[in-house]
Amino acid sequence: MRVNARRAVVMTAAVVALLLAVLFSLAVGARAIAPSAVLDALLHGGHSDAAEVVREMRVPRTVLGVMVGAALAVAGTALQGITRNPIADPGILGISQGASVGVVIAIAYAGTHTLTGYVWYAFAGAALAAVAVYAIAASGRGGATPVKLALGGAAINALLVSVTTGILTTRAAALDEYRFWQVGALSGREAAIVGQTWPFLLGGLLLVLAVARGLDALALGEDVAKGLGQNVALVRVVGGLGATVLTGVGVAAAGPIAFIGLAVPHIARALIGGDHRWVLPLAALLGPVMLLVSDTAGRIVFPPSEVPAGVMTALIGVPFLVTLVRRKAVAA
Amino acid sequence: MTRTSVDRRAPAAPRRVRPAGYAVLRFKRATFLAHRRATAVATALALLLAAACLAYLCVGESYVQPVEALKVVLGMPSPDELVVGTLREPRMTVGLLVGAAFGVAGALIQTVARNPLASPDIIGISQGASAVTVAAMTFGLTSYTVLPYLSVAGGVAAALLVYAFAWRGGLHATRFVLIGIGFAIALRSVTTLFMTKGDYLVAQQAQIWMTGSLNGRGWAEAEPLALTLLVLLPFVAWAARAQRTVSMDDDTATALGVRLGRVRTGLVLLGVVLASVATGAAGPVDFVALLAPQIARRLTRTAQIPLVCSALLGALVVVLADLLARRLFSPTELPVGVLTAAVGAPYLIWLIVRSRSVRNGGTA
Repeated sequence: MRVNARRAVVMTAAVVALLLAVLFSLAVGARAIAPSAVLDALLHGGHSDAAEVVREMRVPRTVLGVMVGAALAVAGTALQGITRNPIADPGILGISQGASVGVVIAIAYAGTHTLTGYVWYAFAGAALAAVAVYAIAASGRGGATPVKLALGGAAINALLVSVTTGILTTRAAALDEYRFWQVGALSGREAAIVGQTWPFLLGGLLLVLAVARGLDALALGEDVAKGLGQNVALVRVVGGLGATVLTGVGVAAAGPIAFIGLAVPHIARALIGGDHRWVLPLAALLGPVMLLVSDTAGRIVFPPSEVPAGVMTALIGVPFLVTLVRRKAVAA
Repeated sequence: MTRTSVDRRAPAAPRRVRPAGYAVLRFKRATFLAHRRATAVATALALLLAAACLAYLCVGESYVQPVEALKVVLGMPSPDELVVGTLREPRMTVGLLVGAAFGVAGALIQTVARNPLASPDIIGISQGASAVTVAAMTFGLTSYTVLPYLSVAGGVAAALLVYAFAWRGGLHATRFVLIGIGFAIALRSVTTLFMTKGDYLVAQQAQIWMTGSLNGRGWAEAEPLALTLLVLLPFVAWAARAQRTVSMDDDTATALGVRLGRVRTGLVLLGVVLASVATGAAGPVDFVALLAPQIARRLTRTAQIPLVCSALLGALVVVLADLLARRLFSPTELPVGVLTAAVGAPYLIWLIVRSRSVRNGGTA
């Protein structure tokens, strides 16, 4: 009963935090708009400048932030569960970079310039990178240890970065489109992206949620999970597929945004315990909070120009990684 | 009683101590130990490098006879003066120096970390140098005489940050590498931030620079680079000797009066400066610092990573890679870093797969 009460309190608090982050994101920017005016614009419409700004620019941006934040946080949670590795994150493991290469190829060679076009390339790239990193880390002695996964990710990252540059050097025209997308940001994305993203997002979330219990069993160890009657391979494949789809769609929509998939799962577990049926939804609530707060903060630090959300999450994420690595459990 | 008699007997005078595999060279009172295999490998590498350089000078948009190329190098009049002397030779010189600097930098850092994966391009040093350099470029600074200094500052700053955050009553190799990877990712995103700030041409220049390119490098870049490396040379000579003490455990070193902490810091600092200087001149040419020392060690089979062979191999890798990069998709010239990464990344992967236990700081 006490556990359930705690869960209820935490989930309610997370919902409240998300609502505040959304309001924050709608109200703050090049021109600050009072929360009451924001609500007024949303509920009653109107054609004042403030109402137009909120509806035309900030609402799509905020909705995109919610979707991408949720996608990356849930992907990170799934990856950490599948690999039983506390520093698993789509960015660190090179999966985001895989999706990026997919997008570069789409821009440079396939003449694709819309999200629905990008997204399949992003999925393919993400999937290839995910399989490659896991195969590298899992082979050899000791299995997929945190360091081997991180190093495999670093190797794949470096390789893919150079592939990207090679393509961009030979196809100079693609660079101008790519460099703005590459930074990882919520601004300057077409509003239509939101409408195109949600089916993929939903599919990825369902895949990951379907293996929530399997992830709980895996947390106890591979042998125990098998003993509990879990099909470990199936859990890994389905969960990995879900994480890949979520990463692919997140990267295709907003560019590679690092560290959300790393930090949010840890925060979620610290708040609500290890049960994935609760951790996953909580991560889906907290991911958007972190991304929206980063995005909004990026608008404030150097006005009038903006710091893209991807840079802000990286700057917030590094201290988190440092703390995590300095705790004995990870390094050993 | 018999015991004392045994003790009194003078110990048998040792014959000439000659460690296995070493040739002893005596010059008046100075004695040098030359590792036979390492010397042979170094000679072979030097010859290979000379051949690669000659090929570099001859092959390109237009083919030049080796004899003519040699004439230009020796300063004799030749009809190919322009192509070889003005275009290819300075670019090759930058490549040579950069490769050697990366090779030595990698060797020093890998020696101290006792981990082949602690390469400057993985633990954030190159990314720190890149971030500062690209930032300077977007603020309109494009002079290749100033950029290298900023690059060094960026690399050293990044290294200090990683070092400080990884320090926890000692430097654990795993912690060092993981935190370095984190910083590398964060610094890369800072770099991309500056890429979006500048206009398109700056972005293109920065993009090429970031992969590591020798494109358009001339004497204006080669001379300050050579000068900087010349200044650093005595330190490298010191490092070659000091390197041996680093493999000692702390107790032995203390007993011998070696200040291990200081030696380690000095070696890492030198490695960081070298890597940053090279990054400043040609951009972060990926994986050279990782590859060269490891291949060198495998070739020479010495306990320490040999500095001279690392330098030669680094130079060889960069010169050959740039030769290929110029020709592969001609007339488009790829940045040389694309090719070193194409070779280096699979090697790194192989290293990870082969490693017995990376997490304990063990080597492959």
